[in-house]
Amino acid sequence: MNTCLQQLVLVLAFVGMLVIRGDSLHAGPAQSDVLPPPRSGLMPVHQPKLDELEPSVREQLISFQNSLAAQTKDPAATDLKLSEGYGLMGQVYQAYSLTSPARECYLNAHHLAPKDFRWVYLLGNLSQQEGRIEEAVSYYTLARGLRPDYLAALVNLGNLYLQQNRLDESRSSFREALALNAHCAAARYGLGQVALSTRNYAEAVEHLEQALADAPEANRIHYALGMAYRGLGNIEKAQSHLQQQGPVGIRVADPLVDGLQELIRGERLHLVRGRMAFDARRFLEAADEFRKAIAANPASAAARVNLGSALAQTGDVKGAIEQYQQAIRIDPSSGSAHYDLGLLLAKQNQHNQAIVHLQSALGLNPNDVEARFVLAQELLKAGRAEESLAEFSRVVESEPENEEALLEQVKLLFKKHEYKQAIQSLEKANGRFPQKGQTAALLAYLLASSPQYDLRDGKRALALAKAVYQATGLVNHGALVAMALAELGRCGEAAEWQRRMIAAAEREGTRDIVEKLKTDLRRYENSQQCRPLGDISTSPVRD
Amino acid sequence: MIRSSSPVNEFVLRTLQKAVVCSCIALGVAGSSSHLIQKKAGIERSDPYSPVPIFAEVADQFGLDFKHYNGTTGQFYLPEIMGSGAALLDYDNDGDLDVFIVQGSVLDPKKEPGNTLFPWRDSGPPRGRLYRNDLVVGRDGSRKLKFTDVTEKSGIRATGYGMGVAVGDINNDGWPDIYICNLGSNQMFLNNGDGTFSDVTQKTHTDDTRWSTSAAFFDYDRDGWLDLILVNYVDFSVSNSPTCYANTSARDYCGPRAFRPVGNRLFHNKRDGTFEDVTVAAGISKEFGRGLGVVAADFNGDGWIDFYVANDGDPNQLWINQKNGTFKNEALLAGAAVNRDGQAEAGMGVDAGDFDGNGTEDIFVTHLMEETNTLYVNFGNGVFEDRTREANLALPSARFTGFGTLWFDYDNDGWLDLLVTNGAVRLLEDPTRNNDGNPLAQPNQLFHNTGKGSFIDVSKEAGQAFNQLLVGRGATFGDIDNDGDTDVLISNNNGPARLFLNQVGNRNHWLGLRLVGDKVKRDMLGARVEIRIPKEKTLWRRVRTDGGYCSSQDPRVLAGLGASSGVETVRVHWPSGKVEEWKDPPVDRYLTLKEGASPEIK
Repeated sequence: MNTCLQQLVLVLAFVGMLVIRGDSLHAGPAQSDVLPPPRSGLMPVHQPKLDELEPSVREQLISFQNSLAAQTKDPAATDLKLSEGYGLMGQVYQAYSLTSPARECYLNAHHLAPKDFRWVYLLGNLSQQEGRIEEAVSYYTLARGLRPDYLAALVNLGNLYLQQNRLDESRSSFREALALNAHCAAARYGLGQVALSTRNYAEAVEHLEQALADAPEANRIHYALGMAYRGLGNIEKAQSHLQQQGPVGIRVADPLVDGLQELIRGERLHLVRGRMAFDARRFLEAADEFRKAIAANPASAAARVNLGSALAQTGDVKGAIEQYQQAIRIDPSSGSAHYDLGLLLAKQNQHNQAIVHLQSALGLNPNDVEARFVLAQELLKAGRAEESLAEFSRVVESEPENEEALLEQVKLLFKKHEYKQAIQSLEKANGRFPQKGQTAALLAYLLASSPQYDLRDGKRALALAKAVYQATGLVNHGALVAMALAELGRCGEAAEWQRRMIAAAEREGTRDIVEKLKTDLRRYENSQQCRPLGDISTSPVRD
Repeated sequence: MIRSSSPVNEFVLRTLQKAVVCSCIALGVAGSSSHLIQKKAGIERSDPYSPVPIFAEVADQFGLDFKHYNGTTGQFYLPEIMGSGAALLDYDNDGDLDVFIVQGSVLDPKKEPGNTLFPWRDSGPPRGRLYRNDLVVGRDGSRKLKFTDVTEKSGIRATGYGMGVAVGDINNDGWPDIYICNLGSNQMFLNNGDGTFSDVTQKTHTDDTRWSTSAAFFDYDRDGWLDLILVNYVDFSVSNSPTCYANTSARDYCGPRAFRPVGNRLFHNKRDGTFEDVTVAAGISKEFGRGLGVVAADFNGDGWIDFYVANDGDPNQLWINQKNGTFKNEALLAGAAVNRDGQAEAGMGVDAGDFDGNGTEDIFVTHLMEETNTLYVNFGNGVFEDRTREANLALPSARFTGFGTLWFDYDNDGWLDLLVTNGAVRLLEDPTRNNDGNPLAQPNQLFHNTGKGSFIDVSKEAGQAFNQLLVGRGATFGDIDNDGDTDVLISNNNGPARLFLNQVGNRNHWLGLRLVGDKVKRDMLGARVEIRIPKEKTLWRRVRTDGGYCSSQDPRVLAGLGASSGVETVRVHWPSGKVEEWKDPPVDRYLTLKEGASPEIK
């Protein structure tokens, strides 16, 4: 088979797969593929495939399609009325990112009502979304002529000119926007970017500082400011801004485009949008989207779990717990509801209740290692050490790279005086992940100071300790070297190491460590009792 | 077969039987001095001046019959749409580049390869394939490529879910070894020098069971042995793959943020056939993202090799070599972590090269549609600025999702151009609606460097096959027919590999260099070459196999000289820190430069 044909077959198979997997539910009559133009000058609208869409979305689209089809068949429909019909259909398509039919609808609406700002502006917006920049500039320019007071058109134009590197036109657009609203942070930010493009860093700083003052929540501005200060040679300020930079960008209010969201039906898209807002740490917006998802489908456990997570991030713990509980009532088999609720309760120090939900999550999915790890921690906090050890051991078994779990397991084994198992567990992990510093450090510590003397191996402890200290340079790891030397009976060297570590700790101003090191130093200096005592509480691993 | 080298003047000229340089037909070209025209591999051109496409696609014609298999089940598993890469390497040291292409597999343990949406029909399981290049060069300079599948004979059994490949000689025996990045255990294949490879993954301690994507060999501690940086992506498993939706509300592939990132890994070559994992000790364990691309180069010009990791949706990292076995991520202040707007973009492929001729390594990263690809221009000392817009690279990329890429001089005019393979990661609306195309397919792009800091999209001139809609992923670059210009092999997801032979490059003069070590004959990855052209500019190129997306490149340097028929000097900055210079090298041929063969420049 020739390659082109083979590709086509593959494609058809793939698309076929989408169709086959589609829901059998259909709302309304089967749609033809194309809505023919009712009069000359208009174009056909190619209907999108609806099979894979959420049923409520499909119903909505079919309903709008039917309504528009009826209008196109009505000989009495005026141009204005028909343009509204096409325009509305286009907006619904655009709300679902069905850009091709949206474009066709807007083109017809624009043809029927060329003075209507909305359709030409939305055509610009569609083109911008699709990366058709020149087309977008043309439409926005036309839109600006129809409504010079629409701020978003000016800002969008400024940004598009900037993308095209047409800096003078970009600057003009942003200035026009500022003339409409002197505190338009998006326009001010745009001017800052124009200045950065021309390496006029001082001017960039001026604009960007103002933009930040107008929109302090937009922490992405800090990045541009950092670059501007870097350009001025002010590295200190540059670094300060770079440390504050974050994911929240800046955008101008755009009632026409923002209003499209109101057309969205169904649960899925609100979940998608909520998730995007959540990832961008816009938790209030995320919560709002998840509420809309619940409104679309009150029986959605996923929406409630997500709303719980968003509320938890906003500090509304009570609201979050309520949502998780409702999710569990709707779907008792929702592992994520149990897990998230367990996690939240754990953070509230409600250990016993947390344990119940984490155990439920594990009952639903025994392979959920994260849930098991948190459960192990909670059991430990609840004083149920034996059960905690069992859970940590299971975590280590299924996720050997989880160093935190390993260290907790070893500490618990140590407390149970099961030194041999503790060392075995560490040896196994160290063999597999020699690069893990805390594992190597704890192993060195136990090999140098195990209360069970026959398990000690000073030589190996020394090699491990030296490697760890070389990598980290930390005082407590240096002290391990001294400890291993002491175990080997090299008390003088141990004392010498310890003194160096004490000096380093004093330089760092860590008094508590200094005292501890001095206690050990006294023992090393007394060569009769040089060997370490062995006490897990003095382990070099930091909590 | 190993070829002998014999010293001639200051050079160690490699006797390339297949790279005929004497029988080239010297012809005058209007507006320039004499240029070389050679017959391309198996393609006769009656009129060398007629406008021909830049590339001719010849994979099927010469036996390169690889088809990528991604194991699609309809469950929208992310790995299905991410692979894979390919490598050009001379595994048999016969002077021409052979091909290794990474293969996918099935993800769902309950499925068999023959029981997926696009069933695997070949005998045996899907596996990465090695093709031997049996290039024949005629007395008249004509070239005949022929590829023979030698996978079985080679002993390479790469049946994992493959993503990427890296090539480097890990034991300094002069035979390039292969490292394969998989979703699951990776594989290190040691070249035995007799056409076979041995799996030494366990013996070398270089395994990583997570989702690895790209890797790069480089000598970060200047001990003369290649170390390995391995880039990992996310913690995907069939059991943790969530259900995701597109903005249409239809089911679609999840983005990377649906999964946790996993850390990268640095392996130090212990010179005894084993590697030591020094990830923590080197300081690179603390910061990581969802890594897809990696390139190693000296970004701050201090003579020590650094590396840059392109992350998908997370800030990129510029790990600057601290010259003591450790690295420090300086990407943010350096201006190379995020785009000029402060946004972490979906970094896929990445490459470093001196596109503006100022002697520094500039970075180019490919990204998702609705973002743009990004050009970070290096102003020296590792200080970068995003100049994508100014270079005219923003707008052409806004509609495509870029993966494979590389700086290379397709027309040998002395300026590094760019190629980008494209292919979406979310179902595209139009093909899905019209049933008239692969729902992820997009065209490749070729950008010509104007020499004035900007680029022109010349994709339309690159040939019909180049513009065909496929799901482009890895691309590997090299002079596969040894005719003095750079060819490209593109690996397409769930599609055929394409081999694009360069039709135009050697109309200009060129200089090909292989840089080998003093005591060892391996390619000295990381060496920088400074080529001074009389009354013209100085070209800076580097020896590497890394860069791009999940792929490995021709280690030779191929420098375009434009109309210049001579080179004043070639100065080599070896990874050891030594600098040597060769004067008046002959051009329009490949030379082998050996470390220590020329007087050292202090």
